[in-house]
Amino acid sequence: MIIAIFTTELYKLLKQARTWYALGALLLIEGIVLFAAYYQGTNIIDILLDNLKQNFYFEGDLVNGNLLIYLILNTMWFHLPLILMIVISGMLTSEYKDRTLQTVMLQPVSRAAFITGKFLVAIVFTVFVVIMMALSSFILSYSFFGSGDLIVYLDTLNFFSADDALKRLCLAYAAGTFSMVFFSVASLTIAVIFKEATKTWIVAAFFLIICNLLVKVDLGYAIFDDYFFAKLNDTWQYFFYFDIDWSRIFMNLSLLTVYIILFILAGVFIFKKNDIG
Amino acid sequence: MRKMLCAFLYLAVNMVSAQVVDPDLLLVKARMDSIIGFEANLELKLDVEFINMPAKYAVMKYEKGKMIDFDSEDFVMIPRKGLDFTLGELLKYPVITVDRGMEVVNGVSCKMINVIPDDRRADFSIAALLIDTARNRVMQSEITTRKHGTYLMEFKYRSNKDPLPEQIIVNFEIEKIRIPLSYMGKEADVDKERMKAEGPKTGSIILNMSDYQIDYLQ
Repeated sequence: MIIAIFTTELYKLLKQARTWYALGALLLIEGIVLFAAYYQGTNIIDILLDNLKQNFYFEGDLVNGNLLIYLILNTMWFHLPLILMIVISGMLTSEYKDRTLQTVMLQPVSRAAFITGKFLVAIVFTVFVVIMMALSSFILSYSFFGSGDLIVYLDTLNFFSADDALKRLCLAYAAGTFSMVFFSVASLTIAVIFKEATKTWIVAAFFLIICNLLVKVDLGYAIFDDYFFAKLNDTWQYFFYFDIDWSRIFMNLSLLTVYIILFILAGVFIFKKNDIG
Repeated sequence: MRKMLCAFLYLAVNMVSAQVVDPDLLLVKARMDSIIGFEANLELKLDVEFINMPAKYAVMKYEKGKMIDFDSEDFVMIPRKGLDFTLGELLKYPVITVDRGMEVVNGVSCKMINVIPDDRRADFSIAALLIDTARNRVMQSEITTRKHGTYLMEFKYRSNKDPLPEQIIVNFEIEKIRIPLSYMGKEADVDKERMKAEGPKTGSIILNMSDYQIDYLQ
């Protein structure tokens, strides 16, 4: 049953024009960010290496594909979830709007299976989009700017060799996928609650903005800083400390998985209780 | 009589100026001048508190009269001082030297010489060299530059007869990086008071040379 619903929902999602518009927009934004990052990258390198210039000569170019992918990573964690949330929540709000949901519910389909199928499609689609973004950023960056050492400032100035940088960037995309899935799932749960597209988008965008703001807020409470879902969404950055704190990353991603499951359970529970009309 | 006096003064000045450069330093310089070129593999290890960098590798090529050339697939940071093997930069302009007696460095008795530039174009204000006079090579040098602080360099050689070092440790002063907030990453901590109190830091870079191919003057 779930597989049949999953396949149908995936087909419906891919048949919608807005899905392809969203993917096109994401690729366009990535291209713009890439070239903006190229010009920003030169400035950043100058600032980072300013103190070292008096002691050293430099051989090699740090404005390369790896730096640009890192800068893309820094900028994409707002617009990517925003577009994902619009597309994913639209999977349900359009059904409410077009009243197709009532038609589906007249069939021998359980509400739980139906909405679970939508959550599964949301997860698979999100993973696909992150992989697409990762591949396109690697292909574009390496094609135009080549590979090379990566320089990152996180408390200390960290240099990574090209091979090491590639591994860390891939791992960062993998960790970022958890955050994207979290936002996608949250947007579908919000759609279950609000039903109407505009309200859903506004609340989803508000949720995303609050989460982004809270990432930077340090209240000094360990429980808030270590366990609150908003604080877990920059786990990908931990791969750019010189010594990777694997236990912290494992803990954060495990917690995000728990939050994803909780949001799905909440969505399924509310959808079952809600009136369809 | 006046011509004789002038000739005497000219000779006296020339003799004095000829004696201002320590002969042991000139011997080291002459030994280094016999090298017209070399090539070596280079490993660089940076040791600065606030910089994390893996060991870097490069091929170093030197031809007499030219700057040392580095070839690497990595991004490498080459210290501004410490690679003047031939003393070409130190003695580029006229200098005077002062004998400071003997000192022991790593169990080797060395002659300490202060080198003071006699030309404003020189980029250092004073240098202290510890020279192994038995083997005609520099064991340690401390160069105080006009713009870039003080560099302390230690030279280690593989064997007694090697003219070029297999390891150089360059110690230098470096100011902690000040980054605008917009470029900072996660949890980057800025403690302005602490940064001010700490002042400049010291760092070092260790250069390990191997597989020397040296061309000597015939």
